[in-house]
Amino acid sequence: MTDVWARLEETIDELSRVTDIKSAAVVRRDGLVVTHTLPDGVDPKMVAAMTAAIVGTSEMATIQLAQGRFVRAIIESDEGKLLSLGAGEEALLVALVYDDANLGLVLLAMERAAKQVETILRDGAG
Amino acid sequence: MMQSPPKTIAPRAKTGIPVLDDRLQGGFPRPSTLLLFSEKPTEKRLFGENFVIQGAKAGEICLYVDFFRAPQLARGELKRFGSVDPAKLVLVDATSSQLLLPSHEKYHIDDIDNLANIREAIVAAMAAEHPGRIVVDSMEFLMDRFPKEDVLRLWRELIEAARSAGTVICFLFINWTLMERELDEIRAMSDFVVEFQSSLRGGIIRNSMRISQMESNGIRTNWIPYTFKDLVGLTVYFPRILVTGPFNAGKSTVVKALAEKSISIDRMGTTVAFDYGNVNITGIEAEIFGTPGQERFEFIFKIFAREVSGVLLVVDASHPDELARARQMLDLVGPRIPYVILANKSDLPGAIPPEEIAHRMKLPDDVPVVPTVATENKGVRDALLMLAEMIIGVR
Amino acid sequence: MLGDAARRLQGILTELRRLPAVLGATIARRDGILIAHALPKTMDPKKIAAMAAAIVGTSEMAVVEMGLGSFNSSIVDTQIGKMIATGAGEEAILVTMVRNEANMGLLLLSVDKAVQSITEILKGAEVPA
Repeated sequence: MTDVWARLEETIDELSRVTDIKSAAVVRRDGLVVTHTLPDGVDPKMVAAMTAAIVGTSEMATIQLAQGRFVRAIIESDEGKLLSLGAGEEALLVALVYDDANLGLVLLAMERAAKQVETILRDGAG
Repeated sequence: MMQSPPKTIAPRAKTGIPVLDDRLQGGFPRPSTLLLFSEKPTEKRLFGENFVIQGAKAGEICLYVDFFRAPQLARGELKRFGSVDPAKLVLVDATSSQLLLPSHEKYHIDDIDNLANIREAIVAAMAAEHPGRIVVDSMEFLMDRFPKEDVLRLWRELIEAARSAGTVICFLFINWTLMERELDEIRAMSDFVVEFQSSLRGGIIRNSMRISQMESNGIRTNWIPYTFKDLVGLTVYFPRILVTGPFNAGKSTVVKALAEKSISIDRMGTTVAFDYGNVNITGIEAEIFGTPGQERFEFIFKIFAREVSGVLLVVDASHPDELARARQMLDLVGPRIPYVILANKSDLPGAIPPEEIAHRMKLPDDVPVVPTVATENKGVRDALLMLAEMIIGVR
Repeated sequence: MLGDAARRLQGILTELRRLPAVLGATIARRDGILIAHALPKTMDPKKIAAMAAAIVGTSEMAVVEMGLGSFNSSIVDTQIGKMIATGAGEEAILVTMVRNEANMGLLLLSVDKAVQSITEILKGAEVPA
């Protein structure tokens, strides 16, 4: 079981090293923290709860609007963006990026990381 | 020969977690025999270590027999529970001889292949130190090396010695080889069995324990989720307590009152997403989530009403017309989850009393209704403690 | 809400909806109550209003918690289109649904204009306490 956590930690560490990504976290869809590289001064539990609320609500809104499948949520602000997407049935991935980030590359890296997280959790549960 | 621990010792051995100790009527009685039983080594050891440190903190002399770790290492690892008077923690060195090194401890097992020698060393330490608590870490070490009948005999002898000395003795054990019948025998030799289980969901490990008293009609707790806090030790941990109820009942205020630091996502006087706070009261840590009360936000339950340990259902005692809505919201959380009703705003004129609320909501007899004034932090903590007791299996 | 303000708000939504890229638009109060909408009949505007309020409220809190300055907008990317939610004054939110192929630059300009108009209308519609 600690192996699952170590692998998730590795994935998040790797993602956080991608250019333009400040920090990242894996959180459970019900709002609990799994692992993160968020800076001190940011409460990871609050970020986890907020990410769950944003993605969960966005997914339900997507269904309401008959827009097919939810892909991702992007929060835009003056000094950066918060990107979140699903990472399998149980988890979500969230990343904090700089304002002038190359979103295309960032999103590719996030999608790859999300698939990794999904696989790790699926393997660990088996 | 009847020896007893020093008279200054408390009649019961506390775990250090108030809500658990209350359930045990103060702690484990003296003498008693505990069996700490898990499938993984880490869980039972944590309880055993916590138990000796709590004893040392209470001024009791505690004996720790460690077959796996060198005394220096064990002492180092025990430091994470907080500091204690080193004189209170007596280690019986069982590893130096395995490594063919001289021992620096007062009590040491010289011949690890000789059960009689092992017994003598432990009994001698008991006789000399008069400990209030003893932990043997761990019996499967002996089961691996010696015939099981011999180990079981030693087990009984140690229990007898501890009983005569009026002390609490804890045996850690993982079963590799024994059959159910033999396990039953060991359980029958014990006064209390503490079991552990661990589950992994979505990348988060959830540890829980269950305490059962072996005598018929004895104490039996539910599975209690726990965690370890640096310098504090074992703590009961509730990953989610939901605070819900009709609009304007005072849910956000309850969350604010309970948690030192909390957030509330609200607009124009109403919660539009959720409230969140982390609560720490003696021996218990809980993550508290408040839901919105308005019907249009019920979708939030689909996100947050999962793995709910218990519910604080907040109603406005001065608006009894909303009690039906409160009941409805409980259904959104799901069946068989323990809950406590907070009759909030109980200070307002027109507030109906708890018995009336219980009657109007047609509540089962065992559901507590606590009068609260959340704005003044009155009754809120009591309600949470009551809920904790229900979850653990007290009420 | 004055009848005139309601008409004008509806007008803004109708105009937005005329853009080929726009699939629908909604104005909601920040506490999730629906103010006006121009959505296809298959969608429940009240549900959209509440969900948008939850998303915007939470996003604004997230931006504060993570020290990111001030919130601009939240965008939900889906297979078929995007849902853009942005504040429209202190008390309201504008939610716009657009096709994925939309020219985002032009679109955001229209959205910004709409937000400005909505903000003014709502300010003007305020009844003194």
